[in-house]
Amino acid sequence: MTVSHGEVIMLGAVLFFMGAVCAVSRRNLIMILIGVEVMLNAAGIALTGASLYWNALDGQAFVLFIMAFAAAEVAVGLALIVYSQRRTSSVNADTYNLMKG
Amino acid sequence: MMDSGWLVILPHISLAAGGILIFCAGAFMRRRASDIIPVLAFASAACAGVSSAWIDPGGPGFLGMLDSGGFSRFFAVIFSLITLMTLVFSHHYARDRGFAGDEFYGVLLFAALGMILVAGASHWLIFFLGLELLSLSLYVLIAARKNDPASNEAALKYFVMGSVAGGFLTFGIAVLYAVTGRMDISAGLGSTMTADNRAGLLLGLSLVMVGIGFKISLVPFHLWTPDVYQGAPAPVTAFLSTGSKVAVFAALLRFSLCSHEAVWAYMAPLFWGLAALTMIVGNVTALAQTHLKRLLAYSSIAQMGYVLMALLAVKHGGASAVVFYLAVYALMDLGAFGAVAVLSGEDRERDDLEDYRGMGYVHPWRAGLLAVCLFSLAGLPPTAGFIGKFVLFHAAIQAGYVALALVGILAAIVSVYYYLRVMGILYMRTGECGIVPRTGILGDGAGMMILALLLLLGIVPSPLLTAISNIVSSLSH
Repeated sequence: MTVSHGEVIMLGAVLFFMGAVCAVSRRNLIMILIGVEVMLNAAGIALTGASLYWNALDGQAFVLFIMAFAAAEVAVGLALIVYSQRRTSSVNADTYNLMKG
Repeated sequence: MMDSGWLVILPHISLAAGGILIFCAGAFMRRRASDIIPVLAFASAACAGVSSAWIDPGGPGFLGMLDSGGFSRFFAVIFSLITLMTLVFSHHYARDRGFAGDEFYGVLLFAALGMILVAGASHWLIFFLGLELLSLSLYVLIAARKNDPASNEAALKYFVMGSVAGGFLTFGIAVLYAVTGRMDISAGLGSTMTADNRAGLLLGLSLVMVGIGFKISLVPFHLWTPDVYQGAPAPVTAFLSTGSKVAVFAALLRFSLCSHEAVWAYMAPLFWGLAALTMIVGNVTALAQTHLKRLLAYSSIAQMGYVLMALLAVKHGGASAVVFYLAVYALMDLGAFGAVAVLSGEDRERDDLEDYRGMGYVHPWRAGLLAVCLFSLAGLPPTAGFIGKFVLFHAAIQAGYVALALVGILAAIVSVYYYLRVMGILYMRTGECGIVPRTGILGDGAGMMILALLLLLGIVPSPLLTAISNIVSSLSH
């Protein structure tokens, strides 16, 4: 069976919503990072679906760059989180309250 | 089209090559690296500035993805200047605090490259790549002081919120592509609105606006700003508060200029509300601050509100006011945070307002730089900030946004109080603020240059204003 582009974009939207809820509601830094990754990949899926619809390749080329960026972001983010975890021995976002905000 | 390609990316190549050379120097020449690296960084930023100022590539490059008109070249020059000033301010600061390695200088150049890409992007892919290159570099720069808990916490906060905002922005771009079918920014946003694509266009634009609003810290998305500005090393704060905000605002200006009238009719009320909220909340919260860097953070939030107000007038010729104010804002904030950097002692940041008591008599020149920048941020004559505010409010009133301009003027009057309070602490009372060691001839020179430029632009603004209106008129078609 074939999947229509509309369903691909809907899948992207649902995934994005799930990722956004995870990133906004969780207090664990690792879970926030996972939520952001889901959001980025949801954007990738939506771009692929839209690319099928418009019969153009630029949307799918964009996805390759999103993948590269997601890897770089995880590298920087995990380095920061691991370093902070060593300092405070916690990955809970609420423990980082040195400065009032 | 490809033949002008290499000339278009000359500044970009200069910055990227500089960054890579610095990393190589850090890896292979351990002993002499600390002498060579700052020189390399300075040279490549200067090359980028010179090549974008004097070499006209004559057309957009890379299949029209990268704009090379006067608009993006003007901003490329501004970003090169910001980078040069940041390098000068951070030279002693980073060495005294032990983070002047290759990673600091290299990543600083990559952040500058991201800014130039964001301001010059005419394609969503370039915009995305530039913005994320800028963000990733800034996360590293903010965390540069590895043994400082505040620096680490600031980077973590900026990373968590910035990556979520980046996710919204990316999905917004995907939605815009899905409804318009164009990756080209002006073609996509300029497409006519129909009953079929209205919901998608508005959803995509609002998701993109979440990401942009975070980067320029408009009010519902501003919560990271004071913490990050306070925790980051002062020269990095200068770089972050000027460069990244000016770059993203330049991109927002491009989006607004090329958006279709029907799309703009939906965006304008949103900008109205955001501008009013940003001006009020930024200025009122700044009143209660007792730390200089937090106070400057709230002041920079409010400044973005004024610029957003004039952005509403963009369809009625307000764009040159926005560009002029962005240039002046970059000078003012660079000077203010640069003064914090050169006034800081060797061990810790001079952050509490009380630490500045009587500073005007101990260090008249460095405190004078801070004072003139504060005067200019408050919009008092004869500084450039006065002319900048004047053209902003003039543009907003000309375009018929009288109520919003009134809100802005009231907020600006409130803001004079907290700027003058800092001036009072600097000059009115004498106290024992410790003497700060000299920070080298370069840092003083950069401070004097900012001071001179602020006063010069406040007295004779017309050459720059004329140049900017020529640049902007070439962009709108």
